[in-house]
Amino acid sequence: MESRKLASFFEEDLCIFGLRSKKKISVLQEMVRHLASVGRISDERFIMEMLKNRESLGSTGLGMGVAFPHGRSLAIKELTVLFARSTGGVEFEAQDGKQTNIFFLILAPSDKGADTYLALLSELISIIQKPKKLDSLLAAKDHASLISILGGEES
Amino acid sequence: MREEFRLLVGLQDLDIMIKEVKDKHTANELKSMGFKLTGLEELQEARKHLAAKIPTSLLNRYEKLAAHYTVAILPVTSNKCLGCFVKLPTSFFSSAYSHELLTCESCGRLLYIP
Repeated sequence: MESRKLASFFEEDLCIFGLRSKKKISVLQEMVRHLASVGRISDERFIMEMLKNRESLGSTGLGMGVAFPHGRSLAIKELTVLFARSTGGVEFEAQDGKQTNIFFLILAPSDKGADTYLALLSELISIIQKPKKLDSLLAAKDHASLISILGGEES
Repeated sequence: MREEFRLLVGLQDLDIMIKEVKDKHTANELKSMGFKLTGLEELQEARKHLAAKIPTSLLNRYEKLAAHYTVAILPVTSNKCLGCFVKLPTSFFSSAYSHELLTCESCGRLLYIP
């Protein structure tokens, strides 16, 4: 996946730069409500149930301050990514036991295969594995800086 | 939407997740990215509880369809079944059916009016 294409997923109305929630379920709820408020999902309950089930499979908090809640649902029409950042951090049961500061919520439609979102997930994970990129993401304060990080040449 | 349709859609989302975990290719990809997929039993337990809330006849219809299709229940969109993309008869959209679970005459999938 080219970086330009990756950056195009991150529309301005799909970013939250000041998450208020501090706990796992409430932060998922806050992100899902945001998606509903901008008309990206047809039913909050379906998405919440799916995400809670996904977390019971194993936390999507991979550590280093980043989590990737994800899954497929009938309540989403097209592959959608929401970026959210918490300055104070969220207790998300991350693998390293530390607080989570940034979230990439990835939702794909039920009728498409898992490959639809796996490529995107893989691309995002490869980005956060670059220390410089990760530091920039953790400090991203607005949409322009996010796009610059995801679409920029810096590595 | 009627509660039983809602439960059925939730069950379908759960089934899709369980299939992904059981699929070696998908599971290996997720594991290689660092995700731990240790809670399959919990998911299966959640499915059992959810399925128990759905009327048996409806659950049986869903199970038969889910054996053939990834998506066995879906909302009607643009007067079409989005499973097979066949246009649905206008009679489907009369108020008498607005709260009913419908069946696509072409592919047999379960449909509801959102």
